[in-house]
Amino acid sequence: MSIRDGIVVVGLVVVHLLLRIGFGLQNAAPDLMVLALLLASRSLGPGGGALLGFGLGLLEDAFSMLSFGASVFALTLVGTAGAQAQGLFVGRSILFQSTYFFLGKWIRDLLAWLVSNPDSRDAFVDSVLMQSPLAALYVAAAGLCVRYLFLKETVRE
Amino acid sequence: MAGQAQGGRKRRRRDFHVVLGLVLLSLITINLPVESQRVIGNGLRESILRPFIEVQRIVVRTRARARDYLVVRDQLDSALTFVASATTLADENRQLRDLLALDGRSPSRLVAAWVIRSGTTGSASVFRLDAGSEDGIRPFDAVVTDRGLLGQVQEVGPGSSMGYDWSHPDFRVSAMTLTADGQAHGLVEAARGRYREQDRLVLRGTAYLSDLQRGAEVVTSGRGGAYPRGILIGWVGEVAEASAGWDISYYVEPAVYPGTATYAQVHIELPEDTLQTVVDTGGPGEATGGSR
Repeated sequence: MSIRDGIVVVGLVVVHLLLRIGFGLQNAAPDLMVLALLLASRSLGPGGGALLGFGLGLLEDAFSMLSFGASVFALTLVGTAGAQAQGLFVGRSILFQSTYFFLGKWIRDLLAWLVSNPDSRDAFVDSVLMQSPLAALYVAAAGLCVRYLFLKETVRE
Repeated sequence: MAGQAQGGRKRRRRDFHVVLGLVLLSLITINLPVESQRVIGNGLRESILRPFIEVQRIVVRTRARARDYLVVRDQLDSALTFVASATTLADENRQLRDLLALDGRSPSRLVAAWVIRSGTTGSASVFRLDAGSEDGIRPFDAVVTDRGLLGQVQEVGPGSSMGYDWSHPDFRVSAMTLTADGQAHGLVEAARGRYREQDRLVLRGTAYLSDLQRGAEVVTSGRGGAYPRGILIGWVGEVAEASAGWDISYYVEPAVYPGTATYAQVHIELPEDTLQTVVDTGGPGEATGGSR
């Protein structure tokens, strides 16, 4: 991972925490945490991706009284999968990039839903099939913006 | 070439072990005891996340000051009117209690605090207060707004505390209704709606023959000791369910919608009113802990 990539990833995490915790925007802000993980895990490898996902998941769960550990589990697996997916999602195609970000966010929400406290989680259809795809689209759009604004030259051919 | 292939295999094996270990660790994290989870969460909030929480505090205060000025002004006017009309009430109350040989009411005070919500995943139903143990707040203290009961404190730090509102699945409060033909007692808990905006309360365990009218006030009964008596919870709505011959449950329209609360008071019982006093007088060094 280049220094610039690292700065962008750290910047995304900081902006995510600022928007969601600092400004309390909740879902009005895209999930930049998972976006940072998806960007970083491709160059970190499975072990590094999982470790980063684990750490980011802990930050995300610090405010959770309902399902502590759900984000840790989900982001650890997404970090691993993101590294494994580097052979699948190559090229500068908008379709490839956006699919990668979309699936990353959607799978993150699906995994978190699966291990969440059944008493506190929303219905599967509402959460995973309705809200989550919209949030994933938002992440995909944000991911494309970040990719083409800040990481233009490092995009894989 | 053979060396490179062997290095690649080693790296893959190492990655596999790291991933496996972290996945297991994350599963352990999910199943940790609640106390351990709270310690981890609190440690993160007091260290890495501290700057973001400070930003949040500043933003919430600034927003609330800008938005609520006229509301606060109205409330101040109402409060002054009430105080002016009730100057003799306390004295009359004391005299009547003396006549009836009643003990004084439980001494308590309110600690004002800002209600701050995190926007992170999984933090629904949870709020932070910018007041903590330094202000006298303890776990399980009731959190109220000017409209009624909001929730309960769960974790207390020196300068801040965390609690959950009534939409949390673990929320329970013993309640009673005050009607013309007597009281009906029960337990109020959260009932999940299809969407979080549709969450509401249910009054369970009232007698089967109790016929509560829509709109009757539901207040805390004080049973169990966690919540002081007489705090408004909401108003009786339609019947939720009935167990033939046994009991009947009613939906309760909440007095406070958690999302609208930006400012609250924590109901603190003063030490001489609690069993803590007995512990204190029984022996020194046993005065900590807040479970009630």
